[in-house]
Amino acid sequence: MEVEPSDILLDVLRDELGVKSPKIGCERGDCGACTVLLDGKSVRTCLILAIEVDGCEITTVEGLSRAGLTPLQQSFLKHDSFQCGFCAPGIVLSATELLGKNPHPSEAEVKEAIAGNLCRCTGYKPIIEAVLAVSSKPARRL
Amino acid sequence: MAIAHQFEYVKPPTLREAVRILARYGARARALAGGTDLVGLISDGMVAPETVVDIKGIPGLDRIELKNGVLSIGALVTFSDLRESPIVARKFPVVREMTGWVASVGIRNRATIVGNLCSAVPCCDSGAVLLVYDAEVLVAGPAGKRKVPLRDWFLGPRKTVLKRGEIATGVTVALPKQKHGACFVKLRRYEGEDLAQASVTVLALAGNSYRISFGSVAPRPIAAERVEALLDGQPLSEDLIQKAVRLVPEEIAPITDIRATKEYRRHMVGVMLERGLRAAVGRLAGTGPEYGTSLI
Amino acid sequence: MTQLKVVGGSPSRIDGLDKITGAANYVDDLAFGPDLLHAEVVESPHAHALIKSIDTSAAEKVPGVVRVVTGKDFPYRFGLYMQDRLIFPTDRVRFVGEQVAAVVARDAKIAKRAAKLVKVVYKELKPVLDLTEALREDAVLVHPDLGKYPRCPWFFPQAGTNLAHFRKTRKGDVEQGFKEADVILEDTYTVPRYAHCAIEPHAIVGLYDLAGRLTLWSASQSPYTQRHVFAQALAPLGLTHKDIRVVTPYVGGGFGGKAGVSMEIIGAALAMMVKGHPVKVRWSRAQEFYNTYQRQGVIARIKLGAKKDGTITAIEHSLHWDAGGYVEYGANVVNAVGLSATGPYRVPNVKIDSVCVYTNLPPGGPYRGFGYSEFHFGLESHLDRLARKLGMDPVEFRRKNAIREGDTLAYGAKMNPSGLHEAIDRVAAEIRWGQRESPKDPNKVIGKGFACFWKAPAMPPNASSSAFIKFNEDGSLNISASGMEIGQGYLTVMAQIAAEVLTVPVSRIRIEPPDTDRNAYEWQTVGSHVTWGCGNAVKAAALDVRGKMFEVVERALGLSRDTLYLEDEKVKCRARPDFELPFKDFVISGIQTPHGNFIGGPILGSGVFMPEFTSALSDPETSQGGHPNVHYTVGAAAAILEVDKQTGRMRVLKAVLAVDVGKAVHPGLVKGQVVGGLVQGLATVLYEDIRYDLKGKLLNANFTDYKIPTAEDLPDEIVPIIIEVAQPDGPFGARGVGEHTMIPAAAMVANAVEDAVGLRVKRLPITAEKVALELHGIHYDDVKGSYMGLCFAGEPESYAFRTTGAKKRK
Repeated sequence: MEVEPSDILLDVLRDELGVKSPKIGCERGDCGACTVLLDGKSVRTCLILAIEVDGCEITTVEGLSRAGLTPLQQSFLKHDSFQCGFCAPGIVLSATELLGKNPHPSEAEVKEAIAGNLCRCTGYKPIIEAVLAVSSKPARRL
Repeated sequence: MAIAHQFEYVKPPTLREAVRILARYGARARALAGGTDLVGLISDGMVAPETVVDIKGIPGLDRIELKNGVLSIGALVTFSDLRESPIVARKFPVVREMTGWVASVGIRNRATIVGNLCSAVPCCDSGAVLLVYDAEVLVAGPAGKRKVPLRDWFLGPRKTVLKRGEIATGVTVALPKQKHGACFVKLRRYEGEDLAQASVTVLALAGNSYRISFGSVAPRPIAAERVEALLDGQPLSEDLIQKAVRLVPEEIAPITDIRATKEYRRHMVGVMLERGLRAAVGRLAGTGPEYGTSLI
Repeated sequence: MTQLKVVGGSPSRIDGLDKITGAANYVDDLAFGPDLLHAEVVESPHAHALIKSIDTSAAEKVPGVVRVVTGKDFPYRFGLYMQDRLIFPTDRVRFVGEQVAAVVARDAKIAKRAAKLVKVVYKELKPVLDLTEALREDAVLVHPDLGKYPRCPWFFPQAGTNLAHFRKTRKGDVEQGFKEADVILEDTYTVPRYAHCAIEPHAIVGLYDLAGRLTLWSASQSPYTQRHVFAQALAPLGLTHKDIRVVTPYVGGGFGGKAGVSMEIIGAALAMMVKGHPVKVRWSRAQEFYNTYQRQGVIARIKLGAKKDGTITAIEHSLHWDAGGYVEYGANVVNAVGLSATGPYRVPNVKIDSVCVYTNLPPGGPYRGFGYSEFHFGLESHLDRLARKLGMDPVEFRRKNAIREGDTLAYGAKMNPSGLHEAIDRVAAEIRWGQRESPKDPNKVIGKGFACFWKAPAMPPNASSSAFIKFNEDGSLNISASGMEIGQGYLTVMAQIAAEVLTVPVSRIRIEPPDTDRNAYEWQTVGSHVTWGCGNAVKAAALDVRGKMFEVVERALGLSRDTLYLEDEKVKCRARPDFELPFKDFVISGIQTPHGNFIGGPILGSGVFMPEFTSALSDPETSQGGHPNVHYTVGAAAAILEVDKQTGRMRVLKAVLAVDVGKAVHPGLVKGQVVGGLVQGLATVLYEDIRYDLKGKLLNANFTDYKIPTAEDLPDEIVPIIIEVAQPDGPFGARGVGEHTMIPAAAMVANAVEDAVGLRVKRLPITAEKVALELHGIHYDDVKGSYMGLCFAGEPESYAFRTTGAKKRK
């Protein structure tokens, strides 16, 4: 596809490709709602020009769910981790990246991994519990 | 969200080509690496380059190497790369410690340390930390290559010594020959992501000598030369620490802005210096807190 | 009492799968095709100015621009409780960032470029940015035409002043009450403005189709109320409710900010101007901060008297609110507080003056707590201090005065059943109240702070809910209602209520975000009332359905309806144990008789809930005589706070909150509200610090400098406690909860700070910086710089209250 140099990756994903799970939250990289995995690494698409990712692979939650829910997603469901859900795609991907690098994270490591994804609804506790529950360590009562 | 400003985009395959383009366009071109600074600036309308020069196509700029006691970090090395590098963790743990308090994972996966040095924002964390080492910025330009000692790199807020057509290709950091311990303390408004309202980096070298820098309390990161001189050659004592803390107001020129008052910055630099000295000396002795422990 | 099977359980959220797969659609995700137009708004750089001229000619010439709209295209007023707003101002702007024009273009980039070409000439006026100035006799008026605005009858603006509304409550005789007191304490507290910071920014798409039908897709908590406000505002163009349809998909957080109508009116107006084309208005994060509702700032003076045995004898509570340039919604916040600013205590003598003041800052409006978060800071801080002055334990002091069922409220009505005493006791036990804790680190100290809270929904007396239920051929059912899923779990709770009555499991119930054309009416999803109000309507609809099922079985099969019951999605009969009729066999097709004909047909039910006992009519001088609040939800909370004396950094080691929800329909969701609400409440005291310059410009309209908590900024431990003292008129005894869980946070931290380090902070926020400086002999307000959090930059104690309101200009 063709893009202009000034086209932001987030806008191209949403408006040209119809991939709606990365959200517009702040347009400055502060909130994490626009997160996707770029060659496996979480990035803020609001701070990337579309042209920069020529040749790269992008994964969004739609891609994760294609083969069925991942154990992490099932854990989020089981723990009722999300409320309004707007931050969910970004958090799912940040946590997916974490577990890919570190299958047994500590609570501190889970918090670090999602610290760039702002959530206003849940207070984060049920999200952290859900990630710890699939991290092969018993989930602590938080 | 839409960037209204229109510009050209080029991705040169070699360093030579990148220099050629930057020399040709001068201030009308901007180099793009991670983009976490530049894309935001263009979006906000703060800068309006005619051409954006993506340097991510240039080979050889993404390496972290330790050779002959000198760590070389290429211009495309991200904060995450540093954070995950075993060399950095083992030999420069305070650099790794700093990366944990820069932004968030999603930003660190793109943002480069050299880009951070080039942004030259007063709250630049990497500049403050690297200042305690013998560090040099590697520059390539139309007149060839040069090395700029980090102490001479920053001219002021958002200003470096880079000349027309020049591009920073990396930074080198010399591993101190003596045994040492270090500590980076960053003042933030909470535990989450924040730009530094002040920072203190202490490098404690065996033999009671120190390299200390203060960040975000002056137009650029500064070496705390008076404090270093006070402490030099003497074993650290409570009394000496308090004397050092009392020198702080002479070393720094903080401002009051929406992030913090100058009174708080001044007070906190004293507290951070005290705690940082203790931690660095403790780490030198092998008894200090684990790197990455928040001291404030 | 039959055992409940579904209500009281915690089934998986109905919308959970949508949200973790990316299937959930929010307004900005909806696709409208290549015809979708984009809007960019032109904003005022001044806090207060006359608009002399707007030249749109250059903007109109930009290729791709379809239309440029200004106030003269739309001189129509709107507003929820008072119509003091225009869609685009025609004569003057009243806050920095207010919209004065909009460009509609083929794409967002063109709209942005063209918007920069719109030339507006202003004549600056002196802005009203100080509450003391605002109420002076010679004050500059923010609304010179205040007397002409249509308004609801229980609001009292004073024309010729900046006093937009006041609520006076008088009960008993406070003079006498203070005479009876052995100890009196009087002081002033200041609470700045706050921003909602829902992660989804406001967005709306409007389409005025070629047949004259206006449809809005809106990120709103209140589709029907939005439709009503649009109908009011657009009536001069010939539109009525029938012509307007509002569709609301999932909303990415509301917290009150997406209630009423703020920026959405722009979408409706622009749609009218580009007939046949959909047009989207999407707010940036910066606009979210400065051009939607904000939580109002307030200065409150409290005088409290008590006998030496701890019995409170009188309260005098004056609150002056920085309500912003428009108060069409915010005036009700002021009103609600005026009725309830005693807090959840029995106080025989009450004098409350709650005054709504126009200023030239962004409009104030509904924010989780609706004024109660704002006033509890001062009140619960003050209670602690009076207790200590009495030499009494602060928890014991609260216990002694805590309100009980049947007590007379400040405005004369009676208190509903509530478990406040149980809440106090259980929180005190959980927090180990009375036991001092000491950290190992010599730099740190630990303090504990306690606060009670209450809140009633603040609604008009006819805020009603309704619901339809219909079946599908497979025996599953659909609930049609217009409450909004803003994250709180509303969809799941409604499904549980229907499931309990009809025995259809939650997994076989479909309920979705509404469309005003298809879904039954709901006033708004605000006030923490939909579990109660809409829940009652859904329950009534379910009971209606059940009644119809029994009626048709009786008619078709001769079984007496008194013997029938429902179980496992079947109709069964107590007189005939072998009888069972699965729903799917008859709820669409009817029941076939032996003659071959079918009796019945599609089973449908409806339910309506109107709180018929409420009334807003009362004596304007005393507020006595009405029953303005349906009921209160009460609770208590406490925190264990560790303070670093050198750095001022505070860490919440443990936060406990007990809330009486009557009946927890879904305990997991209630706990979710406790955790989320506490974290949001703690943020208002510890981190969020709104900064205006002295000309009224918001300086930290972004997450970089307006800090909301990340996953790293949480209490070590949060303990939610659910109390259940049934609400007699609630579905299965349920009462609403949602806002309440953030209300006590600021005061409990302030009380913990005093307990830990002896510092009493009377002005929010309580940041590490403030604590560190105060502990080291520097008064924070002296050095903080030329910023303000609300329209008053002086010391709280220096604010002069005028309880009789402003003087009119001669």
